[in-house]
Amino acid sequence: MDRNQRPRSIIDSLGEELIAILTPVSICMFTVVLLVCILNSDPSSSSSASFSSIATAAYSESDSDSSWDKFVGAFLNSLVFVAAITVATFVLVLLFYLRCVKFLKFYMGFSAFIVLANLGGEILVLLIDRFRFPIDCITFLILLFNFSVVGVFAVFMSKFSILVTQGYLVWIGVLVAYFFTLLPEWTTWVLLVALALYDIAAVLLPVGPLRLLVEMAISRDEDIPALVYEARPVIRNDSRLVQRRVWRERRSGQNDNDDVENRTNRNEVVRVVRSAEVDEEHVGSSERAEIYVPLIDRRPDQAENSETFLEGIGLGSSGAIKLGLGDFIFYSVLVGRAAMYDLMTVYACYLAIIAGLGITLMLLSVYQKALPALPVSIMLGVVFYFLARLLLEVFVVQCSSNLVMF
Amino acid sequence: MTVAAGIGYALVALGPSLSLFVSVISRKPFLILTVLSSTLLWLVSLIILSGLWRPFLPLKANVWWPYALLVVTSVCFQEGLRFLFWKVYKRLEDVLDSFADRISRPRLFLTDKLQIALAGGLGHGVAHAVFFCLSLLTPAFGPATFYVERCSKVPFFLISAIIALAFVTIHTFSMVIAFEGYAKGNRVDQVIVPVIHLAAGMLTLVNFASEGCVIGVPLLYLVASLTLVHCGKMVWQRLLETRNQSSASR
Repeated sequence: MDRNQRPRSIIDSLGEELIAILTPVSICMFTVVLLVCILNSDPSSSSSASFSSIATAAYSESDSDSSWDKFVGAFLNSLVFVAAITVATFVLVLLFYLRCVKFLKFYMGFSAFIVLANLGGEILVLLIDRFRFPIDCITFLILLFNFSVVGVFAVFMSKFSILVTQGYLVWIGVLVAYFFTLLPEWTTWVLLVALALYDIAAVLLPVGPLRLLVEMAISRDEDIPALVYEARPVIRNDSRLVQRRVWRERRSGQNDNDDVENRTNRNEVVRVVRSAEVDEEHVGSSERAEIYVPLIDRRPDQAENSETFLEGIGLGSSGAIKLGLGDFIFYSVLVGRAAMYDLMTVYACYLAIIAGLGITLMLLSVYQKALPALPVSIMLGVVFYFLARLLLEVFVVQCSSNLVMF
Repeated sequence: MTVAAGIGYALVALGPSLSLFVSVISRKPFLILTVLSSTLLWLVSLIILSGLWRPFLPLKANVWWPYALLVVTSVCFQEGLRFLFWKVYKRLEDVLDSFADRISRPRLFLTDKLQIALAGGLGHGVAHAVFFCLSLLTPAFGPATFYVERCSKVPFFLISAIIALAFVTIHTFSMVIAFEGYAKGNRVDQVIVPVIHLAAGMLTLVNFASEGCVIGVPLLYLVASLTLVHCGKMVWQRLLETRNQSSASR
């Protein structure tokens, strides 16, 4: 029917970078939903009941309070949390300003180790308990320790295989997100909205800490030491995929008309986040600040209409897209919390978040400066969750329980 | 009835679309984006419909005409949205063609356009299956099963998965027919798609009669296979035409 040696069409490679960033986000969300479904399926278990952290410092929810009390309590909780994050981010900015980059890197590694060993260990213990998996303490500790140490190296040494690094980053995101879903319900939702608003303020206001951080990093032409997921760009050499190792060279202003894939002139697309603080379940007093700082940054290029349109949704060029780990975490928290209600809300929230991510990329191409990645997705996700829960569920259950479908 | 049964029901509804996804769609990132956006569109249409009908729910269980009204309004709304989807796709096609011209690559082939239409239809179908079948499957992973009186020979999960499979087929392939119909201005194709959708929706109303699903579901599959056959014929003809054209022009 077709000639065998057909020239490759443009839709073969269009949208690769976007898919390269959507895939890990989807995997992270899917893993968190799976963990929530497996570990929370027993409502009488006590493991999820006693999570206390800085996010529940002001008020811990109990079922007997009225809605207004719960709302006020949740609001206070999120104020405390956002205040703590603001302080931590300003400390980060100060340290970066004083060029204590080494200290920041060591602290990153340390917090990655703690997340992998401690939170990872807790999740694994819960899973072992749930599935009655026979393993003894010593083997478990040795394996966990090795796994965590490899993870720390993978995240901070650039010579590691990219798949291993990406896998570890997604796993760290899953762990932190799972623990955030253990917060009480009202607190989670109000916290997500508060963080979305904080993100807008921190990135767009002139005094916002993240904006200061971005500007300092750009002026010094340095990397921000942070946990950032990068989707490495891919070059096709005669239909074999070759992942580029060295991609950070920014050759600006090049205009290659021959081949789409050879364009390297744009797009360090990096995304902004905030720092998240996670407190231990049993060690109530210690605090850890894990700093996930992604930025959105673009080198402007020729602004042809259709091309900018395609650029904007990440389709045009072959630059790498970087997404901060905090974005992974809070998207997965939203979806995990939706999973605690029903699968329908999960799917609705997933689509809303993906749509929000697409819209953010489009806004990026229009505004050409650092943009927060959380607000659009979180707002859409929250709206879709409540719409699905209040409107959609009744409608669909009515129809399908009578086997009427369209 | 256990995890195996739950996964089985999910695969009954979504198995063919999963294999279609893995073999055709996952190779081209643009098609994955098309699937996601058409799923989102279907979800939004469902939310709007449920918002419109919310004041009237819950409907009384044994009266069938409110459900008929519900199906008719929903199908009309969704067909209207399909036309809107096609308009957006037309604009996108122009953008893609001018982009291809600028980077001196070939413009969109016919197979590309058909694949995009297929991806759009698959998005609609998968959204239907997820919302009408998968979202209710959570109890199926537990130790028991569930029967409804209207269709008491078959577990509820199985019959809804079977109906969902028929609808996935209908949605996927009627999108291809619709896009080709709108592109060529072919009246028959343009009209046949809403008719099929409405007929399929109405056929599920047959399930209202006691044991009606014995008649309703095979008829539904008849409609689905009609859609498949019509789509196959249409695509074959178009491909033959294009090949004849290109060999004639050489």
